[in-house]
Amino acid sequence: MFREIKRALKMHRIFIVQELKRFTEYKGDFLTGAVGLLLAQLCNIIFISVIFGQIPELMGWKYNEVMFIYGFSLIPKALDHLFFDNLWSVGYFIVRKGDFDKYLTRPINPLFHVMAEKFQVDAFGEMVIGIILLSCSLPSIEVEWGVGKVLLVIVAIIFASFIYTGIKIGTAAIAFWTKRSGNITFMFYMVNDFVKYPIDIYNNVVRSVLTYIIPFAFTSYFPALYFLTGENPLFNIGMTIVVALIVMTIGVLIWNRGIKAYESAGS
Amino acid sequence: MSDLRRKLKIYTPFINAGMQEMSSYRANWLFYILGDVLACFVSFFVWEAVFISNGGESFMGFDKSDMVVYIFMSFLTGQVISSGGTYNIGEEVKDGSIAMRMIKPISYNATFLFQEIGNKLMEIGVIFIPLVAGVEIYRFAVTGVLKFDILKFLFYLVCCVFAYAINFFFNICYGFTAFVFKNLWGSNMLKNTVVSFLSGAIIPLAFLPDVLKNVLICLPFSSLTYTPVMIYMGMYTGYELLFFAGVQIFWAIVFWLLSKVIWKCVINRLSIQGG
Amino acid sequence: MIYVENLRKEFKKTIKEPGLKGSLKSFIKPKKEIVAAVKDISFDVNEGEILGFIGPNGAGKSTVIKMLTGILSPTSGKCTINGKDPQKDRKTYVKEIGVVFGQRTQLWWDLPLTETYTVLKEIYEVDDSRFKKRMSFLNEVLELDSFINSPVRTLSLGQRMRADIAASLLHSPKVLFLDEPTIGLDVVVKDNIRKAIAKINEEEHTTVVLTTHDLEDIELLSKRIVMIDKGSKVFDGKITDLKEKYGQMRELAFVSPDENALNALGYAEKFGLSDDDLIQEQDGTSCKIRFNNAIVPVSDMLSYTLSKINVKDINVKDADIEEIIRRLYKEGVE
Repeated sequence: MFREIKRALKMHRIFIVQELKRFTEYKGDFLTGAVGLLLAQLCNIIFISVIFGQIPELMGWKYNEVMFIYGFSLIPKALDHLFFDNLWSVGYFIVRKGDFDKYLTRPINPLFHVMAEKFQVDAFGEMVIGIILLSCSLPSIEVEWGVGKVLLVIVAIIFASFIYTGIKIGTAAIAFWTKRSGNITFMFYMVNDFVKYPIDIYNNVVRSVLTYIIPFAFTSYFPALYFLTGENPLFNIGMTIVVALIVMTIGVLIWNRGIKAYESAGS
Repeated sequence: MSDLRRKLKIYTPFINAGMQEMSSYRANWLFYILGDVLACFVSFFVWEAVFISNGGESFMGFDKSDMVVYIFMSFLTGQVISSGGTYNIGEEVKDGSIAMRMIKPISYNATFLFQEIGNKLMEIGVIFIPLVAGVEIYRFAVTGVLKFDILKFLFYLVCCVFAYAINFFFNICYGFTAFVFKNLWGSNMLKNTVVSFLSGAIIPLAFLPDVLKNVLICLPFSSLTYTPVMIYMGMYTGYELLFFAGVQIFWAIVFWLLSKVIWKCVINRLSIQGG
Repeated sequence: MIYVENLRKEFKKTIKEPGLKGSLKSFIKPKKEIVAAVKDISFDVNEGEILGFIGPNGAGKSTVIKMLTGILSPTSGKCTINGKDPQKDRKTYVKEIGVVFGQRTQLWWDLPLTETYTVLKEIYEVDDSRFKKRMSFLNEVLELDSFINSPVRTLSLGQRMRADIAASLLHSPKVLFLDEPTIGLDVVVKDNIRKAIAKINEEEHTTVVLTTHDLEDIELLSKRIVMIDKGSKVFDGKITDLKEKYGQMRELAFVSPDENALNALGYAEKFGLSDDDLIQEQDGTSCKIRFNNAIVPVSDMLSYTLSKINVKDINVKDADIEEIIRRLYKEGVE
């Protein structure tokens, strides 16, 4: 077990180094993607600012708090995007074109191989905006910070990013049956737009979906709530960890069944 | 005239191909649309919260039902006028097959256009009618009056055609940036983000500061979504209608000419440097 | 080394109806059908053998290879390679095999070729000293030196294929699967690749399973072939047996000054040969006649020809493998 983790980390490092070598050839490309993502977030921030230009509070939430939640939601998303972006390609073309063959003929776990192979620097666009939003909104929010709380932020962010990864694994795996599932992943991803805002602005149905069915609320709202209010760490942080583990497990289970149904391509 | 009919006949198979394409990836496409509709609901709920927070008053001249109509109609208009030219041309530039366009006996842009029209016919059947009906029923339920005006709706449709023309030629022009930006996903997203903001798909342009608003209204992008939707909603009347339709036609012609000029440059470049 | 028993693979296929109505219909409710791509195939391969695996397009060759390499799970039946089940023991199994798909590459596209090998070294856990030895061996056999520092996307098809074969051999596999390794290559490059495969087989006793469209690959490399058609095995044995069993076609070639010689001869009417049993070509003065030896003995053919016209340079040849197989594909095997 320990040896395997060590080996996986080593392989991951090697893949990342390879990707970085690739980027030295395509610097302009990296900027295009990162700037695109940055602008996309910036547009939404303008949208929020226009709203708060007219009203002081959105259902009890102040501008800074909304910004904090928005910023918090971007960081786990960016982390997953940075390390495991290749899962998108599984659903869009790796399976359909039969390119998944390659991963099955190599002596490392195919899921790990395909996930770790890409290092998507575009994600820095989201990451930068997320960090800027957090650091700009923090000073005006009254919370006490300590080493423990900082550690909890890191833990919460890591597990929150696993929720994204798990959902991507599970939805990408659907391609093993249907050949294409990129748009299913996309659909799930659009759900995460909901959790950029405090989820109590939604009605009960939407809120339950975001909490129990497609639990994106645990990638931003709940952990952010703990840092905003200091209340209920057991639920807000603890459940984030539990939910992340559940989503990841379900994703991997679907994946493992999917691999058996893989039909490759061509004659 | 008979020449035109003959020409159209060459291209009708492409409409059919476009429809077939849609049907073979139907599930995939439905998920995609569903994803986008979800994004509309995010805006819907955010605006609902805004109207609750400000006590139900109108927000910069829009009341809640206006806002709902705006959100869904701007999404729908965006779908109707969307065009995949950028990506297709980008791929061709990247793999070098763009040179093949020079030797094709029929206009490649036209085949692409007709294939896309085939796609759209299918799309309109599946989402356009239910969404417009939904929006109108909602409006009727909230305000108690039937606001649907067939004349304005027809005018809206005509404006959509102009908007599609602008978008089609703009996307072709933009597609050639693949000579510079090799990251198609990134450059496409960059474009979509900027265009959707400038066209009013994220925030109605009326909510922006006056100076910015006036600049954006003269740019081609407002013609894509904002103008048709405002017409649908009945926000423009009389001369305003004609003025904005004129702006649309102006930009459609500009991008059509520009796409021709760029294509000429590309041909020169290809014949000097090779594929 | 390789034991295949009643291997079967079925796929679900969507049937598309033509026309607008058809596309609307399949938009709402697609029709599905189960198709067997491989129907209960069995065969064995011995250690150190090169097996030619052939069949027409869509016969199921690639599907068999994909099951043998653990990419596809068989619907029923099983295969054991070096005592391992490709699906169940996947992780240890794939360390013992090398796979090359001619139409795909496993090389890192944007990076210099040598980067691929350093990553594969880690993936297959090849230690430094073995890696060095291995690279120099592969360099020698496949002549990688001249392009090893170029980005993969700039390689020619032949170079890329050599690089891909080297990549599949880096971890010294016991079995090498080659799916169309010479597809799209010119004659000289094909020859180089065949020589390299033969050399590796000879020096390391690597078992090779080779599918190809180019029957010359088979003739030059393998002594034994398995032929499949429409998912079933139609022949398994030595190439010489195949020739003996099905090679009834003989070729008679001669030069005649009479430009209408073939018409004048009228073989078809004389011997009652159908189009399948008689193929005639005339190019100026030289004539080629391929005929079915089982119907007309060579001696009859010769004496008839000589009695009718003046000929120079007459000779008779055995059918080549390509001819036999072309006939088999066409007729099927009873």
